[in-house]
Amino acid sequence: MTRPGLSYEQAPPFGLPLRFFLTAPLILLLAALLAIHWSPAWTASRWSAEALALTHLITLGFLGQVMMGALLQILPVVLGSPLPWPRLTARAGHLGLTLGTLLLVAGLAWAHPTLLLSGMAILAAGWAPFLFAAAVSLAKAHPASPGTLHTVRLAWLALLVTLLAGFALAGELAGLWSTGEQAGMTGLHAAWGLLGWVLLLVMGADYQVVPMLQITPAYPAAASAWLAPTLLTGLVLLSIAVLTPLPSQPLLDLLAWLPAMAAMALFAGLTLDLLRRRRRKVRDATLSFWHLGMTSLLALTCLPVLATALPAAARPPLETLAGLLFLLGFASSVAMGMLYKIVPFLAWFHLQTQTGARAGTIPNMKEFVPEARVRRQYRLHLAAVLLLPAPWLPPAYAVTGLAALAGSAWLLWRSLLGCDRLFRRYGGQLG
Amino acid sequence: MDARWLEPPEPMERVLSALDRRARRQRVRLLLHREPYPLYSILPQMGLTHTVRPLPDGCYEILIYDPSDSAT
Repeated sequence: MTRPGLSYEQAPPFGLPLRFFLTAPLILLLAALLAIHWSPAWTASRWSAEALALTHLITLGFLGQVMMGALLQILPVVLGSPLPWPRLTARAGHLGLTLGTLLLVAGLAWAHPTLLLSGMAILAAGWAPFLFAAAVSLAKAHPASPGTLHTVRLAWLALLVTLLAGFALAGELAGLWSTGEQAGMTGLHAAWGLLGWVLLLVMGADYQVVPMLQITPAYPAAASAWLAPTLLTGLVLLSIAVLTPLPSQPLLDLLAWLPAMAAMALFAGLTLDLLRRRRRKVRDATLSFWHLGMTSLLALTCLPVLATALPAAARPPLETLAGLLFLLGFASSVAMGMLYKIVPFLAWFHLQTQTGARAGTIPNMKEFVPEARVRRQYRLHLAAVLLLPAPWLPPAYAVTGLAALAGSAWLLWRSLLGCDRLFRRYGGQLG
Repeated sequence: MDARWLEPPEPMERVLSALDRRARRQRVRLLLHREPYPLYSILPQMGLTHTVRPLPDGCYEILIYDPSDSAT
């Protein structure tokens, strides 16, 4: 069993991760409103300009912000290795990610080369210092939490591949060069970004967060040691299948997807089993986010089987369904569950250490984010997840789902902002 | 104090409350299902220290005290 050690004395100032966490829901809100405006164009195909723009708003704008903010906290606290120059890295990363995402998304939506190129340049300026600082931190990290450490290292590698493939594709769209393999590169960019960067970082974080905050047994050491390399093996095989025109490509494709899907299903199944065995029987609202996330991930692994049973013409909606299940059902749900656990905890912890307050004189976790508000937001998010991934339903359902998504993003932002305000009202310094 | 299987930061809230209320030279013995690392970083600010002992069931026994008490 993994036995983690946390180094809270190395925690960065609260304001550094918070700026990412407060920006993320606003970009999700923007994505929902734009999707309403662009309906039903974005549902036609995952390759449409609108679908590409919305996907990047969610991946870079929402998930990217949450994950960059989370890494600022995970590297020093969980892996005992602070980022070098944390303030500069966080400020450049936040500005680059926010501005770069908006420009890139505008460039994708309107096929505008100047916007695409400016978005690329600003994103590169934001990501490069962060990637370098994270590499230094990961190289120095000690293996107190070996499962998390090697999983986060592989997530870093996957992020690098995703960004390089993304820049190659954006450059091609802007007319700078030709990769000659646009469809294949797009598939790789998506696979490394979603199954590599997003899923691996969620795995690495969950190995710590689920046992600690949901009071469950630890993940089995064999799972935290082998799931990430198995997933990465799948991604490497997939890359070989796409980049080398071998006659055995269908076989390689199958060999690539099998380990990736098995790792996903095992991770989701294990997490659901740990949550079932949690020691704290009082059900809190954040648990629902994890349940929804892991159920969505399990459902996703069943889609390839469903695809083989359907005629080829009926498969494109399944691709949209897979994307929405992963982005909203799995990744966004888990990100929201983590935000509701981590942000109030950090607010309480920093307030306690900064003010040395006596017990009962500062708000507790539940006062930082009231449970009823979390439940309200969960219901809206669930409605969005249930209504959106059904592209065969009449468009009115999708618009209702998007309205729920907008409401959910707004409530999430209000909750986190409330936490920030309460922290400052009691004399907390953001740093 | 038995704070096993309580959700963070409830164990820390309870132990800080107990430390505020403790009498001079009194020690606080805490039982917990994992090591309370965040608490360890707060104790020195309060002039306190701790020892930790793993228990056979996977839990921990943490003894918190003022080091000047044991010196006298």
